[in-house]
This record gives sequence, C-alpha cells and structure tokens, in this order.
Amino acid sequence: MAVMRMGYMHVRVTDLAEAKEHYGNTVGLYQTLEQNGRVYYKGWDEWDHHSVVIEEGGVGYVKCGFKCEKPEDIAEIERKTIEFGYPVVRMTAGENPEVGDGIRVTLPSGHEIEFYSSMTAYGLEVGTHNPDAFPRHMVGIGAPRLDHALLWVNDPEGIEKFFIDCVGMFPTERVRTSLEDDAHTIATWLTLGESNHDIALLEAPENKIHHFAFEMRSWDDILKAADIFAMDDVPIDIGPTRHGITRGTTIYFFDPSGNRNETFSGGYRCFRDRPVVTWTPDQLGKAIFYHSRELNDRFLTVAT
Amino acid sequence: MPRLTVESDGVSIDLLDGETILEGLYRNGYAYRIGCRRGGCAICKVDLRKGEVIYDHPVADAVLPADERAGGACLSCRAVAVTDVTIALRQDNLRRVSTLMALYAGSRTG
Repeated sequence: MAVMRMGYMHVRVTDLAEAKEHYGNTVGLYQTLEQNGRVYYKGWDEWDHHSVVIEEGGVGYVKCGFKCEKPEDIAEIERKTIEFGYPVVRMTAGENPEVGDGIRVTLPSGHEIEFYSSMTAYGLEVGTHNPDAFPRHMVGIGAPRLDHALLWVNDPEGIEKFFIDCVGMFPTERVRTSLEDDAHTIATWLTLGESNHDIALLEAPENKIHHFAFEMRSWDDILKAADIFAMDDVPIDIGPTRHGITRGTTIYFFDPSGNRNETFSGGYRCFRDRPVVTWTPDQLGKAIFYHSRELNDRFLTVAT
Repeated sequence: MPRLTVESDGVSIDLLDGETILEGLYRNGYAYRIGCRRGGCAICKVDLRKGEVIYDHPVADAVLPADERAGGACLSCRAVAVTDVTIALRQDNLRRVSTLMALYAGSRTG
C-alpha cells in the first residue's frame, strides 16, 4: 500500500501553556520537541517522531501529513495530482522538523495536505523487545495514536475523488441527499484500509477543521477518558456514545483553544471490496449520534 | 460584583468576580446557543451594549477581529465583566433550562 496513514496533524492554539497541559497531561501524549513556538507530540503506540503539532497564535487547522511507504509513492502521488489539477509543491527535508522530503497539495478548500515517506524514528513507549501491553505510567487518557480528521470543505465530491484517484483511498460511508443516482454527496468517509477512516469530508460554508481523533483501545478506555475530562474540566461536546456511521464509539471534546478533538474506538474492518454505506439526511441524527438519534446544533456549526 | 443585563431578553443577574458571561448565565439556569466554550468557534458571540469586559485568555483574531471588537462584539465564553454590563444576544433568546439553578443563584428577571 502506497500511503499508510495520517501521520501528523498540525493546529493552532491561542495559549501554548494551556494547550501543553491539555495535549500532554490530559490527552497523555509524549512531547518530543519544542521549537519556535511549536510543540511536537507522539502517542505511546506511535514510533515516528511526532503525530501532533501545536503552534501558538490563533486557532484551527494548519496542515496535516500522510505517510507513504516509499519515496517512489510520493512521486506517483505528485504525478497523479498534477494530472488531477490540484496545486502541488515539493517540500524539502527539515521544512518540518524530523520529516523528510515530500510534497504539499492544496485542496480547493484551501487545506494543505503533505505527503512524506520518512520521519525520524523515536520508538514505541513499550519498546519492541518483549514489550508490555501498555506503558506502566500512562498520563491522562493515554491516547495511543492519532487516527483521523474530519474537514469542513466546499466540495466533498471533488475532494473525495482526489483522495480516491491520487491517494489510493476508498470510501466506506457517505451521506447523500437521497438514494437516487443523481444524489449529491454531503459527506464522505475515506480509508486507506487500516483505520476505519483516515479522513472524512463534510460539505460546509467554511473551510475549516471539524475535529481530529485519537484511536483508543476500547470502549472502557473511552469511558475512562470521559472521567479524566471531568477531572480536568475539559468541555465535552458529546459522548461517550456511538456513531451510526462507522459504528465507532466516541467522545467529542474541545481543547483549551476550542479545537475539537475526538477519542474513537471500534468500527469495522475495511476491505476495498466492501459495499459503500449510504445514509440519507432524514437519518442524519442516527448516523452521527446513534443513541440519541439527534444532531446537536454544534455538530453543524462549530469548527475551527 | 458586576451586574449583567441581557437587553434582548429583559434578564438581569449578578456575575461573580472573575466569572465569564456564559458561566454566569448558566449558573443562573439560563442557556443559549454556544459552541466550544473555549473561544475557538465564535458561536456564543453577543453584542456588548454597555459596560466593559476583559479577556483573561488570548482570543484569536480570526474569532474576534479588532474591528468587530471595537464595534461591540463580545465573545461571551471568555469575556469577564469589569463593570456592570448590558448585552444583547444575536438571533437567539435566553432559555431558562433550570429553575432550580435559578433558585440557587437567587437570580431575578427584570
């Protein structure tokens, strides 16, 4: 497989000290670097140098990166993207600390997406020699790894086609205006095959980030995360509950700058020949929040 | 203890020192349309008609641009009143969602 996963998410925060408390002590990520007003983190079950970057000043999306298996994969994505017609530029090793050469694609929504194939190895917290099941002294919710993001975009159908044609993703679920052939896609969930979804796109009036998610090991860990959020006065948007879409269990919550985070667990195995699920707008409440079957107004209004 | 008046709804409450406008209204059993509660989404923006507020956290320019702030826009989840203040909600009404909280807080409608 050419592209393996979403490797990093880079967001702005209004107050670096508060954000460090959140991502370090509440989410339980491990800080690997602080430089030029940016702090770099990894989860305990990640081996690359970083998966989350926070930058002081403002709020919201800066960029995200997808890790490819080999440098040749980057060249292939570059060729396909040029053919597809989205702007693409090359980035050199060191532009992002500890990240190798790559390319940067700008989506019509303005979101920048980077593709790279090497990042300095840092190592799993449990090591690779006769490892234990988890680190003995996990902090906060002990999020193991970055999982996916949901972006607000102006053109989910066009951008979905980019992720399918140029990146090699496939859709698992969509929200469509109807079940008719000429229906319009309102939202789409796309995977590279390992995570239940690596990126999701929702049609929206502004081009922003709705949330980025950490994969938790179980529903038990999701419940424990909610307890930790109560202890740390983290505003919970919704949950713990289940999504109808993906069947994943979830909590949406906000970081101290108002960026939405998610803890996500579960979902089903994704194979390329799996039939795509379609949801219709009349069932959107159940699709997003399976138990309450009601959308809260924040789901469609709050993004950074 | 600053007094908060919500002009659009004819409601008046006392704010505790250091409490945000949003915290004060929720403590008094009122709800209105809010988002992240951390200054990131701008959903809880109201209009400041009288009085002064300060922000005890940095607020992103994209959320509350200087010209909007000068024009009276106020991010209610982060704004702390330093004088008696009067606000008006934008395309929304206050909802009293807890009479018990209102009783505890000793609020009164005016």
